[in-house]
Amino acid sequence: MEILSYKDFYEEPVKKDAPVSEELTKDCYNVFACRHKFCREWCPDYVEERNESYTSYGVHTSTLALACGNASLPEMKNEFIHCLECGQCELKCPNTMFGGDFYHYATTTVDLVRKMRRDLHAQGIDYDGFDEVQQVIDEHLAHDAGPDEELTSWAAGLDLPLAGETMMFVDYYNAFQTREVPIAAAKILKAAGVEFGILKHPHVTTGELYETDEDKWVEAAKKNVADLKAAGAKTVILVNPHEYSYFIKEYPRYCGTLPFEVVYITDYVNDLIKADKIAFVKPYNKNVTYHDPCSLNKLCGNYQAPREIIAALPGTHADVEKPILQWKYCCGNGVSGAFRKALPDVAYKIGVRRLRHANDVGAEVLLLACPHCKDMFAETKTKSGINIEPVHILEVVAYCMGIEV
Amino acid sequence: MSKIDFSKFHYGNVADHIEELEDIVGKENVMTGMHDRAIRAASCAPFPMQRWEDHIPDVVVLPGDTDEVSEVMKLANKYRLPVVPRGAGCGLADGAFPLNKGICLDMKRMAEILEVDDINRTVTVQPGVNMQELNKVLAKVGMYYPDDPASYGTAVIGGRIGTNGWSVAGAGSGHPANLVCSMEVVLPDGQIVRVGKGGSKKCRNSSAGYRMLELFFGHQGTLGVVTEAVLDCAPKPEVEFPSYFGFSSYDAAYKALFQLGISGIKSVVNYIMFDDEKIDFLRRDDDAFIPLPETVKCVVMATFAGTEGEVLAARKKSLSIMKAAGGHYLGEEQAWGDWATRHDRYHLAVHCRNKAGQVVTMSWHCEDNCMIHSELPEFTHGLHKIVKKYVEKYDGIFDDAGCFIYTGGPYRTWGDYLAEVDVFINELAMTPELWERWLDMKREIAELAVELGGSISICHGACREGDIDVLIDKELADGQFDLMKRIKKMFDPNNIMNPGKYNLHLAY
Ligand SMILES: Cc1cc2nc3c(=O)[nH]c(=O)nc-3n(C[C@H](O)[C@H](O)[C@H](O)COP(=O)(O)OP(=O)(O)OC[C@H]3O[C@@H](n4cnc5c(N)ncnc54)[C@H](O)[C@@H]3O)c2cc1C
Ligand code: SF4
Ligand code: SF4
Repeated sequence: MEILSYKDFYEEPVKKDAPVSEELTKDCYNVFACRHKFCREWCPDYVEERNESYTSYGVHTSTLALACGNASLPEMKNEFIHCLECGQCELKCPNTMFGGDFYHYATTTVDLVRKMRRDLHAQGIDYDGFDEVQQVIDEHLAHDAGPDEELTSWAAGLDLPLAGETMMFVDYYNAFQTREVPIAAAKILKAAGVEFGILKHPHVTTGELYETDEDKWVEAAKKNVADLKAAGAKTVILVNPHEYSYFIKEYPRYCGTLPFEVVYITDYVNDLIKADKIAFVKPYNKNVTYHDPCSLNKLCGNYQAPREIIAALPGTHADVEKPILQWKYCCGNGVSGAFRKALPDVAYKIGVRRLRHANDVGAEVLLLACPHCKDMFAETKTKSGINIEPVHILEVVAYCMGIEV
Repeated sequence: MSKIDFSKFHYGNVADHIEELEDIVGKENVMTGMHDRAIRAASCAPFPMQRWEDHIPDVVVLPGDTDEVSEVMKLANKYRLPVVPRGAGCGLADGAFPLNKGICLDMKRMAEILEVDDINRTVTVQPGVNMQELNKVLAKVGMYYPDDPASYGTAVIGGRIGTNGWSVAGAGSGHPANLVCSMEVVLPDGQIVRVGKGGSKKCRNSSAGYRMLELFFGHQGTLGVVTEAVLDCAPKPEVEFPSYFGFSSYDAAYKALFQLGISGIKSVVNYIMFDDEKIDFLRRDDDAFIPLPETVKCVVMATFAGTEGEVLAARKKSLSIMKAAGGHYLGEEQAWGDWATRHDRYHLAVHCRNKAGQVVTMSWHCEDNCMIHSELPEFTHGLHKIVKKYVEKYDGIFDDAGCFIYTGGPYRTWGDYLAEVDVFINELAMTPELWERWLDMKREIAELAVELGGSISICHGACREGDIDVLIDKELADGQFDLMKRIKKMFDPNNIMNPGKYNLHLAY
């Protein structure tokens, strides 16, 4: 598989007192060469902070300045943390839009941000607030080193096999923080008659680790792929869109073409609905709208299934915005949780803007397809008092099927 | 260009005043990191990367309201610290490019929409508001701010005023200078004044006193800092209709443009001609370009907006004019496809070629001359002659991306035009010597524009290296530049506002 946006020169670390590679300089220059900032007013972080240091232009040009001797790496410690890794700027960029296919070139802000966070960390230059992020990483590494039973404890009583042609991959966030999500997913699949298994010991997939210690993360990625293959997987269903984006976009870089198909849960459920495998027995009489998770919509271009599911929900009145109009929103969490940990106030403002917007269309419920969005919006709702309920779309599907979660 | 000698202005040391600046705007809104300053050295025009360091401001300040701006200006005036206002930083005449470092006053944090008056049809905004975002808010009450440059999604109100910008829709609904009713300005000594068409905040016209408002259009941050503006809004048109016509020669397209211009159709948004070089450039490989029959050499585009009845009538009338002029209608796909991408297909750094046809990464530059109708052919052909001379001589350094010709004046479609040649330049390969050749090219273009009775700039400002000499020595030679100098010195006795811009240091 050819990956258009994969730039292997990102692998060479940027170091204090060492020249920046020619390729990286040119890559950053390509964005500077535009500097029209078509993407800027759409960057959720810029919308709140209105500081162009923290935009695609900002991160690329800072790095270019470094290459040209006009920046100092230690001073740049906070430069790369203001990015949600949402991917909007990559899509809005004419380099990608109009040149991408023809020139085999794309703007890759998210990769650059991850790379620079990593390179800075390797030299002991960490952004303010990194300690809390390290705690999350340590916690998740401890899970990985811990007993199998803990990792699958969310599935207690569900009686799921540990192998199968169809496997559901459940990340640690879902397994420990938002277990209602994988539980709903599993119950829906079971009710629809799908035979599927889960891994005995899924390995760590946490984004914060990926942008801190790539080797460790890749090692875990390889184990996940090998274990899923060994379990007989032909199809792997993801229940967290962040992990979905890693499986779709990052895993093939490190593991080659995956030996199974990767499907997001909303696509899977939507197909079940279309095939009449899911029977709705109860209406969901609410005014709803839907929030596209950045990782699904912007990073993977996946937005259709949730809309079709919502349209199929009995009794539901929906006002759902076009996916492209949602490019400028994020829940505030970011694809790696580092943003929210390091910049909780900005994260909160981003969340408030999105909730207000949902309120403006007259919705009572904001439907979600991501556990991180759910957590972020729940916190934002409580803090702001904005009267709208964030609910995971799987919970509503389960409800309409008459399933208790 | 020889470096300006600023020594006689005895500027203070910005680094000595960081704490005072932090006291005014808050610590988090003062940025001293080299990278934060370095990224604010450039705006969108070709950038002398080999001299990047010379243009890095000493500090970046992000004010939040008028009082903060006023306090910053008082401090700057007291200690003689250069101040360069920065809007979106997408100006194409280097207005926000510091010539003598100093304080970069980044105005984008001031982005509040202060009042929407749906009875008197005005909106009051801070200068950091972007038009596209503004229109999303105005749409909720059926209003619309019609300034529509190709940088619609990026530029901000303060920069539109600072450059005296030009709107693609100006033939129908006016340009920024026609669309601002009044504004608040902080002068170099920190005084806050309101300038309008007379003293009213919202009147569109007045005979009371001098027209002080206009003085700030195109001032490029040399006279003060705009902190608030009251804008004239229009009703959102009921329908919009873009149409494209192919022509087999430049001459035929040029004549058709004239006929359209004098047709008197009121619901016009603009008329645009793409010359043969522009069509060739687009044919190269633009993913978004919809292929045209080979017989099409030039294209004329006509866009209308208004009530459905008006637009229908305009459409009929324009079709018959274009047909009689030898044009053939290129169809809906072409029209809507091109129109839809007009705001974001401008630049493609990888779209350029050397003589061997290989891709070379270059940066876009747009020469925005104003030209009277009678001289358009000589001018645009002359533009290509100049640019091609350099393309030929410096392989892989420059590239000619063709010309656009747009209706130029406000609320009219005749007389003068924005005749723009797009030039790409290879910034990464720039050397001091090549940069001088680039300035020579600019000088030749500016001279041709003035010689043929046009103006060096209709949207961006003529304050860049290369343009400025011709502006002072030729275009404004009949006393206008002397007047500018007198005004500058009166407003800004210490020359702290954007020093060196427009060579106004010569006033002192
Ligand atoms: C792709 C592209 C297309 C473009 N198309 C057009 C077009 O169709 N029409 C057109 O007119 N221009 C066009 N431009 C040029 C540019 O968008 C305009 O010149 C615009 O007005 C610049 O606004 P800005 O906010 O970026 O200003 P900046 O570049 O930040 O500043 C411009 C000048 O204004 C001064 N300034 C900014 N804010 C203030 C303030 N608050 N108070 C005082 N001075 C201030 C600055 O010091 C500077 O001198 C285009 C640019 C690009 C990149
Ligand atoms: S990411 Fe693209 S649109 Fe944004 S500044 Fe960059 S090159 Fe321009
Ligand atoms: S990825 Fe998202 S948050 Fe990051 S710079 Fe781009 S638009 Fe902004």
